[in-house]
Amino acid sequence: MKQTPQELLIAQRMQPGVITLSGFLGDDPRPLNQIISDDAMTLQRLGVTGMEIAERMEHLTEKSKQVYEGSIVVDEMYEIETEITRGKLPCPYPHRGLQRKTITSCTHLSSGIKVRWTALNIHMIKEHGFFEGRGSPFRLEPEILVKVLFPDEALGS
Amino acid sequence: MFLIIIRDIGITTLISGGLALILVIAQRYLNDYGLCKININGKREITLKGGSSLLNSLSENQIFIPSACGGRGSCGTCKCRVLEGGGTLLPTERPLLSAKEMADDLRLACQIKVKTDVRIHIPESIFSIRRYQGKVTKIVDYTYDIKGVTIELTDPPTIDFKAGQYVQLETPTYGKVRQKVVRAYSISSDPGDKKHIQLIIRYVPEGICTTWIHQFLEEGDQISFTGAYGDFFIRDTDVDMVFVAGGSGKAPIKSMLEYLSRVGTTRRMRYLFGARTCKDLYLTDEIHAFEQVFDDFEYIPVLSKPCPEENWQGRIGYVMPVLPEVIRDPTMTEAYLCGSPAMIDAVQKALIELGVPEDKIYYDSFG
Amino acid sequence: MDINAFVLFWSAIFTSNILLTNFLGMCSYLSISREVESSFGLGMAVFFVLTITAGLNWVIYYHILVPFDLIYLQFIIFIIVIAAFVQLLEMLIERFTPALYYTLGIFLPLITVNCAILGVSLFMVIRKYSFIQSVAYGAGSGIGWLLAILMLAGIRTRLKDKMIPQGLQGAGISLIITGIMALAFIGFSGIVIIQ
Repeated sequence: MKQTPQELLIAQRMQPGVITLSGFLGDDPRPLNQIISDDAMTLQRLGVTGMEIAERMEHLTEKSKQVYEGSIVVDEMYEIETEITRGKLPCPYPHRGLQRKTITSCTHLSSGIKVRWTALNIHMIKEHGFFEGRGSPFRLEPEILVKVLFPDEALGS
Repeated sequence: MFLIIIRDIGITTLISGGLALILVIAQRYLNDYGLCKININGKREITLKGGSSLLNSLSENQIFIPSACGGRGSCGTCKCRVLEGGGTLLPTERPLLSAKEMADDLRLACQIKVKTDVRIHIPESIFSIRRYQGKVTKIVDYTYDIKGVTIELTDPPTIDFKAGQYVQLETPTYGKVRQKVVRAYSISSDPGDKKHIQLIIRYVPEGICTTWIHQFLEEGDQISFTGAYGDFFIRDTDVDMVFVAGGSGKAPIKSMLEYLSRVGTTRRMRYLFGARTCKDLYLTDEIHAFEQVFDDFEYIPVLSKPCPEENWQGRIGYVMPVLPEVIRDPTMTEAYLCGSPAMIDAVQKALIELGVPEDKIYYDSFG
Repeated sequence: MDINAFVLFWSAIFTSNILLTNFLGMCSYLSISREVESSFGLGMAVFFVLTITAGLNWVIYYHILVPFDLIYLQFIIFIIVIAAFVQLLEMLIERFTPALYYTLGIFLPLITVNCAILGVSLFMVIRKYSFIQSVAYGAGSGIGWLLAILMLAGIRTRLKDKMIPQGLQGAGISLIITGIMALAFIGFSGIVIIQ
């Protein structure tokens, strides 16, 4: 798929060392719009929207921020810990606003699956449908994410 | 036959050469904006060759508007008031400005090009910000993930700053990082020593600048930074002071204490430091030593998860429950906070509940 | 070719739309048609460049290439002229209207390799248009191209959250839509035919 000049510009900002050390695209050979549309297809198959995922992640992150250090058990299902560092990062997409540097680790207690995400992850899923490229340190596989965030629905499918 | 080939080649070359010539001339004429004047606050006027962005034009003339993304138009920190000569608002600026800011003539300095004479207005404090070159003279490991970096200034040789202010470090290109980035760090040394600054830097996984400092920077390396920025400094009153820090947040408070010990103070001061385990504590003896220097000072480290084998004798838990014990009169107390945003949020909330006025709680804005 | 320039202009838009009847300029048409806004920018850029390069290439063809018997070099020369003109236009826009540069300028380099532009210059030669006819044909084709990409972008924005079979997503469905659009445009073709 060809990319628009804007997409090329955004992909450039996703390179390693521009906003984050390892960048957002990892070693994924696919162009940005392909990554997004492939993930969108996966979500469609799973029957969940990016918005629902992002809101669930936001909800869990907020819960874990109630303790300012250490982990918390949420909904008797997850053990979550959010670490916040100083400084803010812009999104690679051009728009206003900066995201806090946070890393949330979430362990689904009954299955033991562990996922981690950043504030920028939540924002990019919510606004841009972007789960990062394969091989990126903060790539979120939609299938695993949905399995962790919506365990009941995932059982049915 | 041969002649015809030569002629054909000649004409083709002539056409393309002619077009190239037109382009070169156009480039010359169109990109030459002549000399432009930038008038700042009606006080200072700089003359320079037009064509580059306002942000770069100003920084070439030693005026540093804070910018977090390095002029890529993504962070929106380099806002400044352009009264004249900014041209129309660009589509690249629109997403980063609110309606009120647009009405106030605020523009992104990194997006607008200096093409005519420009009149701008910037806060006075930005005038004193300079770019410095220095040499790393000492790197110490405070904990497993916190390093102290001492920089000796070379050009210009001295810096004026207030205890508590921060600088923006520029990382060079290294490894996968092909672009310069700038990151803010608080100065931890005494402003009395104008030839050196010390920074305390905690390693952040995936951080561009902290990775460089922790894994690549060596003693003797050249380093450049701009500063000093920020309004986190000691207010000149005589009420009680409470310092609350966590992680690398010791830096500005160390600077403040060293400054106060040099100029002398009789104010009552308490210093709470929140950490997880003994491994996260550092500079403990140095700060305890201030208890001998000041009339009324106490350093209280608080650990949230001391390991049993560490045999921790001090306070256990978070810092918030300790606050009521160290504050005498909440309305007559100033609080200075530095640490992770989560800690600042939690401590600020606790302080307000205790009755400390919100405008007397100070912390760094770059968190 | 004896045809009124005005008629030529309108027929280039509707009856012989360069994109929907000749299928020229497809690659940028398929890739930049996700949002209406950027397709409008690209379409406007194509319109500008088409109108002016058609005239420019006409002058060069009939006053340089034909007298010197260089017709066999027309492809190279046309491409060079288009590339140089696009460069010049980019510089002019950046200098005088920065706001327009940000909406239109970023698409300009893309146009150099848009085959519709070269196509118009070549049609103008094959069909032996006069200067006025060439410019009218260029402008008409540009507007026709703009119209086509705007329509596709409009349809694609509506398709964004619709269920489309996996194998047809992206370029697949766009080509089908374009095909249906082309069929609809055949309806105009009885009015006038330019060849």
